[in-house]
Amino acid sequence: MTETSLKFDEELHSLLVVMANEGVHNAAKGMSDMVGESLDVDSPQIKRVPIKEIPDLLGGPEAEAVGIYLRVEGKIGGQMMMVVPYLKALELVDLMMGSPVGTTQSLGPIERSALQEMGNLTGSFFLNAVAATTGLDARPSPPAVMVDMIGAIIDIILATSDNLSETVLMLQAKFLRNGREAEVDFWIIPDKNTIERMAKGE
Amino acid sequence: MEKIITVGLGEYALSQDPQDILVAYGLGSCVGISMYDQRLCLAGLLHALLPIHPVGSNDSYARYVDTGINVLIDEMIKKGADRFRLVVRMAGGANMLTAPGFTGSFNIGTRNVEAAFTTLNDLKMKISGKEVGGTSGRTVKFYVKDGRMTIRSIGNQEREV
Repeated sequence: MTETSLKFDEELHSLLVVMANEGVHNAAKGMSDMVGESLDVDSPQIKRVPIKEIPDLLGGPEAEAVGIYLRVEGKIGGQMMMVVPYLKALELVDLMMGSPVGTTQSLGPIERSALQEMGNLTGSFFLNAVAATTGLDARPSPPAVMVDMIGAIIDIILATSDNLSETVLMLQAKFLRNGREAEVDFWIIPDKNTIERMAKGE
Repeated sequence: MEKIITVGLGEYALSQDPQDILVAYGLGSCVGISMYDQRLCLAGLLHALLPIHPVGSNDSYARYVDTGINVLIDEMIKKGADRFRLVVRMAGGANMLTAPGFTGSFNIGTRNVEAAFTTLNDLKMKISGKEVGGTSGRTVKFYVKDGRMTIRSIGNQEREV
């Protein structure tokens, strides 16, 4: 590991703890507005996970999952992916739509659009917190929803990342509404030049 | 007893054991390229991530379609395979991001497939079977015993190519 990436790890980690808390709480506020009812969020956990281990954390490379993908543009560049195992995604849609558990049985256009909106909101609110903390602008692209095998979803991150660092920052958050909860993972992969910029303290 | 040998991303594997099944799980934009020499019961499977190995890079050859194909062929030849006897098949290369705004710059699946066609064409090798493109991930199983290759994707039956 290079000195640059070491420094980046420490700095980014502590920075992220602050930003993620703020960002995820902001995101929950945004979602509360969207569903018209108060929605809470647990303090997110942040860890660094080797990409190779991700499929096993989520039930194996063939396990079906939903990935909501955003590119981040601006002074801070990178990728963000919200990942939820398929069955949990169905629960998440129920939670967001205020339907009883088990109402959503499959992901049609409306359900996908709800997830996309959620990715959009959480992504924007998260990035707003990042921008506010660092003073650097970071804008999300429109989100893309993928429903597929975990292995296939990860390909996107690997193939489009110019920083083949082999690990991603994983942020686990729990959204709560009326005593129900849905756990969501966010993967964050900053671009190489963003890492270099942050390491230099720019 | 059948034995599963997982071929991870950016890796390749060879086997001559009829009990072995070489498997690449969840290929999205990645491609899986299989080669089989029936006379030797020799099978090889590559799981490549990106189309072209950058000049001067130290990155693993198996990570890229163009260099990965060449490495796989070389390894097969080292085991006694005849290049022109090899049955070549291919799967994967899906375009996972289909939302507007992503398709143009993220068509890595398509570029991977094109790189495979070009590389194999330059080597004067033909492709006997393929299932490429689309928007869904695939799991590839390659049976050393008889050189059969099957594909599974979510919501679909396992099928042979």
